[in-house]
Formats: sequence, structure tokens, C-alpha cells
Amino acid sequence: MLSRSAEGLYWMGRYFERAEYLCRLLRWQVETLVDRPIREIYFGWSRIYMSLNRQPPGGRLELLGNDDYTLADSYTLAGDLTFESPDSIWNCFALGRENARQMRHCISAEMWTCLNLAYLGLRKSSIQEIWKTAPESFYAETASEINTLTGVAEATMYRDEGWHFLQLGRFIERVQCSTALLLSQLAIAKLRDVSFDADWMSLLRVCQANDAYYRNYSVDVQPHRVLDLLVTDPSLHNSLCCSLKAVAAELDAIGPGPQEHSSAAARRMAGRMSALIQNDWPDREDHDALLEQVRQSSWELHDLLIAAYINYAIEDSPAR
Amino acid sequence: MDFDDYNLDADNYDEMFLPDGVPREHSRLLYETLRGLSAEELVSIQERIKRSFLNEGITFTVYGDEEADERIIPIDCLPRILSDAEWRQLEAGLTQRLGALNRFLEDIYNEARIIADGVIPVEIVRGCPQYRIEMHGFSAPHGAWVAICGTDLVRTNDGFMVLEDNLRVPSGVSYMVANRKAVKASLRRLYRKTGVQEVEHYGRILLKTLRELAPSGRSDPCIALLTPGVYNSAFYEHLFLAREIGAELVEGRDLLVNNGFVYMRTSAGLRRVDVVYRRVDDDFLDPLVFRADSLLGVPGLLHAYKLGNVALVNSPGTGVADDKSVYAYVPDMIRYYLCEEPLLANVKTHICRRPKDLEYTLDNLENLVVKRVGESGGYGMLVGPHSTPEERETYAKQMHANPADYISQPVLALSRAPCLIEGRAEPRHVDLRPFVLHGRETRIVPGAFCRVALRRGSLVVNSSQGGGGKDLWVLAQDDEDPKKRERGKKH
Repeated sequence: MLSRSAEGLYWMGRYFERAEYLCRLLRWQVETLVDRPIREIYFGWSRIYMSLNRQPPGGRLELLGNDDYTLADSYTLAGDLTFESPDSIWNCFALGRENARQMRHCISAEMWTCLNLAYLGLRKSSIQEIWKTAPESFYAETASEINTLTGVAEATMYRDEGWHFLQLGRFIERVQCSTALLLSQLAIAKLRDVSFDADWMSLLRVCQANDAYYRNYSVDVQPHRVLDLLVTDPSLHNSLCCSLKAVAAELDAIGPGPQEHSSAAARRMAGRMSALIQNDWPDREDHDALLEQVRQSSWELHDLLIAAYINYAIEDSPAR
Repeated sequence: MDFDDYNLDADNYDEMFLPDGVPREHSRLLYETLRGLSAEELVSIQERIKRSFLNEGITFTVYGDEEADERIIPIDCLPRILSDAEWRQLEAGLTQRLGALNRFLEDIYNEARIIADGVIPVEIVRGCPQYRIEMHGFSAPHGAWVAICGTDLVRTNDGFMVLEDNLRVPSGVSYMVANRKAVKASLRRLYRKTGVQEVEHYGRILLKTLRELAPSGRSDPCIALLTPGVYNSAFYEHLFLAREIGAELVEGRDLLVNNGFVYMRTSAGLRRVDVVYRRVDDDFLDPLVFRADSLLGVPGLLHAYKLGNVALVNSPGTGVADDKSVYAYVPDMIRYYLCEEPLLANVKTHICRRPKDLEYTLDNLENLVVKRVGESGGYGMLVGPHSTPEERETYAKQMHANPADYISQPVLALSRAPCLIEGRAEPRHVDLRPFVLHGRETRIVPGAFCRVALRRGSLVVNSSQGGGGKDLWVLAQDDEDPKKRERGKKH
């Protein structure tokens, strides 16, 4: 397929994945505002901003005051991440939709209508309106709309290269979001003397893994078990190992690129990342170092993909 | 909905009613169906259609209007109907006209017999900014300089007339299909009973035409639709057409020319392109030949075309034939090349580069429509009867300064059709743009993009200026039987 279309679909996959991830983050964070202690709320916001590698409005988090102050500040932070910042839910959604608009001939008509309807609804929203009632339901509904789009794509899109680039974007974004979130969790937890179950419970919720955890380990929350589940469980749909496996599978489906070995470096990189998780994770103590390695490799993988399929040198490509 | 207050005017042909208020035979079923629907039901249908356009993102862009980045074209849910006999007359006229225009283009870029024989003045042709000297000596494959033509037609009490030929990158066909889908879904019983000819196979016919134009020896040609990009006003249409014909939607940056062949950059390497359906104007098509600052085109594209390694649809240089001054000579072209009388009339046109015509135009500004020859989309136009003395004065000064830039035409009493305006049926002026395709043969889908001037009294149908669209139904069989008229009832 046209390289620009492939790139557009790849980014479409990434933007919607990121928007859905942000919805999950904010949904559970906003829920903590109802009855959780200020410490926990502060932990949540710190984790969110650190994982996004962004500074909050005003430069730093100050949530250690009284309840009123915490709520007012949270309103600002939620507004920032929902509509204002460059990687806010709104911007990610709008950019994903813009990529889809330009690639409408490559996706199914049902997908376009589904996401356009969601976009038109989202466009009418404002943080004031969202905040008036139950803000968590806004994030839950938006995430659900993105999941519906994923389902519609699954049910209606032709399984050509376009589909595989769309999926590749989703899974690479998922790898990057997951590693960033886990690294933030570990970094913040390291700064504290005491480990709080609630922080790990909230991580499970954000990762939609609490049910899976309970089924395996009951309600006894152990940080190392949480990490193992989120990183290595082959049955958890969004565990890191599943995401990496999916990346490798999509690369296989797309094929070698312009020349026999154009995408060999990208495939090797994907294989190494999978091996790190599958083979090294159980034996290593420095999980944060390993996750950092995976995260950096995922950035490199992105560059390798773009170089192999999109921005390759013309002279390297035999004409067909 | 009743038509009690529907205002018939003897000066304007009404598409639905005879002058005495009786519905035309081919519109009877529509009339009766509408009478059986309440205003609320029709408003609800109208709303549903509008919503479906919005939800599906069937939009266009108005340049310079940042607020309206993606605007939907207003659609009137009441279809306009043409009988089969009326359509056949149009079809024959359009085929004839495009035949002559293609012969004209082949001639002026080669022997220029029509100029030598004094049928059309040389300055009209060679003085036209759209005349491309770069095309000299070139012969378009199968004579198809213009493979896709959108001709604007109007009807007055004297019959159909051609308002203008769009021979460069005519747009609107996607709305023809979208309007049909939306209106058909809303008035399904009426649609079935009426027996309407299909238009939704336009994509198949377009594909067939484009394939016919591919370079010889390319049995499975690769077709690409070249768009200026997402900010172009017709981007939705480009997407729609690319999808319909299964073509890649490419921008200039996706293509390159190597050794006289055109390639596109794909994720699996470079792939040869055989047919480029370009929706980019000549000026921007090839920076090596036309505007050097163009980022929308492909360097070397014209060279590849001239070598016969790629088909360009439409060919560069066709704009000279739809110039508003050249338009006046189309009937003469038909007589000259085809030895036939024109089947479709032209609007009487005064070419202001002629001193007599300029004088006449200046003396009668308040009664004429004055157009700039290089403009389209309803821009740069003075509608005399709707203009102020100050506007006329400004226009007159400009015409004095550069008469060759202007033509004038009488104000036409455009036909009107009922439209649903605020829950009532009101007459509005309409035109239609059928699309004529020419590969190895000429093909026309029985339908058109029917445009409506939605503002009361307005004659401007362009979507960028308050116009909207309507579905046009061409009946499968001729129902214009005079005997049936006797059964008509006055509304």
C-alpha cells in the first residue's frame, strides 16, 4: 500500500490507543477523588504525569493541602489532560480521526461512521460540563467508544496491509504506554518507605487487570505479583509480553518491505524485546532497568519501521 | 404537505408543475406522495438526511472560512425529476458537445485548422491563460483530452441550455451519489414505485473509462487519484472516488518520475502508475513545466505523459476549451467538426474584448450577468438586477481597464423546483451538472448533481455561496404521454 497511507493508519492506531489509555488513567484517577485520601490522589497524579513525561500546568504538583484545594487542582489537571495538553484525550482523538479522515478509503465505512459519531459527541464536551456530574462516566464512555471502534474495525476492516499497520501502531503504542506506566509506578514507589496496596490496586484497575489478578491471587495484593501479571502473563490481553508478541506478528504479516531485508532490523529488535521479557524478566531483580531497556527499544523500533516501510531511500527500492 | 401557497411564476419554468398548476406527468407520483406526508414528516426526513451527511462526514471546505473547515452541503429532500425523453435529449446533446470539444483541443494543439479557417479568432484561443503551449504537437490517446466532463445545464421556458463546460477537474459527482443514497433511503416506497435510473454505478463506469486510457500493454493498470490534499475543498470527493474505483489516493509527494515512468512509493517499494486521475489544476501539476513553486505536483509528470508511459486524466491544456470566451464558440465548433447543428443551446454571450460587445454590456449592466473569464464557483460575478449602482460602477471601471477578462450574458429565468424551506414547499432556482465520461466511447450516468439556490430569489447555486443540492431522478421510461395529463388535478 501507499507508504503515506501505511503511515497514516499506523498513527491512527497509535493515537486511538493513547486516547483510550488516557481515558483509563483519568477515569480511575477521578474516582479516587470521591473517597480516597489525599496521599493516594497525589500518587495518582504523579504517576500520570511522570508516565506521560509531561509537566503539569504550573510546573509541579501541589496536592498536599486540604480537600477543597485538592479538588480544585484536580479539576485543572483533568482539564489539561482531557482537552488542553498536546497529548490530551481530545487532541489524540482529533489526530486519530484526522488520520482516519485522510485514509477513509483504506478503512471500512462502518469504522469511519463510528469514529465520526464519537468525534462529533466529544467535540461538544467541555471540562465544565464533564465536571458537573460524574466525570468518571465521561472517561468510561469515551474509552468505550474507542473500544467500540476497535471492535467495528475487527469486524469490518479488510485484512490487508492497512489493517496490519493499524494494529502495529496500536501495539507499539501499548508497549510504550505500559512500560512508561510501570516505570513511573516503580519510581514513585521507590521514593516511599511503605508500599500501599491501594497504589498497586489502582495500577491493576488502570491496566484492566484487577479481575485477572483476583482470579489468580485473590485479594492479597503483592507488588511483584502485580508486575509479573502485567508484564509476563500470556493470558492477559494487554500484558507487555502479549503486546510484544502482537508487534512481532504484525511485522511478519506486513512483510519485508521494499527489499528482502528492509525490515530485518525492525524484526530483530522486536524479537530481542520479546526475549527480554520472556527470558530475562523472571531472573532479574532490576525490573526497572529492564523495562527502561524495553521502552527505549520500542522508540528505536518505531524509527526502524518508519525507515523500512515509509522513508526508505528511493535508490534502495527496485521498481515494480 | 400542501402546495396551496406554492408560488408559480410564468416567467420561470417549474420542474414539477405546469403553468396552470397541474403537476407534470412525470412528477405526479412525487406530488401525490408529498401531499400524503405531513410537513413534520418531511422536516424529519430532511433532518435525517442532514444528520446522515454530518455523521458520514460528507463535507466540503470553503476557502478562507476557518470556522467551516468541514461543512456539509445543504441537501433538499424533495427530488427533481426528469423524464426519460428529456434525459435522452440531454444525453445526445452532451455527447455531441464533448465530441466537438475534444476535436477542438486536438486541433488547436496541432494543425489549428479552426483558427486558420476563421471560425474562432486566434486571440481568443492563444490569449487564453489556460492555453498551454507545452501541449503543442501532442495528441491525446483515443482523442480523449477530456475524459471527465461536468457540464452545467439550466432550463428556461425555451428549454435546456449549457451554462458552462467544466473540463479541467469537475467536481460534484460524489454529491450526486450521496444525495441519491440519502434520498432513496428516506423516500424508499416512492423511489421504488417511480422507477428511477441508477447512478450508483458511476464508479464502475469511471474505472472502465480510466482503464481504457491506460498505456497500451498494461493489462492490469495501476490507477492513482492525485489530490492536492486534505485542505482541498473537494477532498471528500477525492476520497469517495478513490474508494469507488479502488485507486490509491496520492499526493504529489507520493509520486516520482524515473526514466520517463511514474512510480508511487508504497510500503513494499516503488510501484509503477499507469493512470493518474488528477484533481490538481494544470498550474500545479508539474513544477518543471508549469508553476515552479508548486508543491502539489510531480516533477517530470508531463514528460512521462507525452512519452505515453502514463495517462493523465484530464489532459493538461483542456482549460482553454472551458474558458468563458471560448464557450461562446462551442456551437460553431460543433458545426465545424461534426457538421451537425448543436442539440443543446448556448446562452447568448457577449465577449467584452470585442468593442461592440463591451459597449453593449456597459450600457446594459443592470440587466446582464457579467463574469470574469478566469473565475469559477460563482466568484467574480455581477448579477446586474441584484447589484447596487456602486457595484456596477466599480465593475464598469474594471471592465474598461481590462475588457478581455469579461463576458456578459442575459439574466436567465432559471427553472425552479419545489424545495422544503422551513416546513413549506417553496420554489427555488436549480441547475444540473451531469458527468460525461469519454474513454474509447462516451458514457453518461443518468443523473446529475442538481444544485439549488436556497436563498429566496437567488440565482447563485454554488455551494460555496449559499447553494445546496438536490437529488435528480431520471425516470426509466418515458411517462410524458399527453393523454395522461388529462388525469391531472389542479393543486
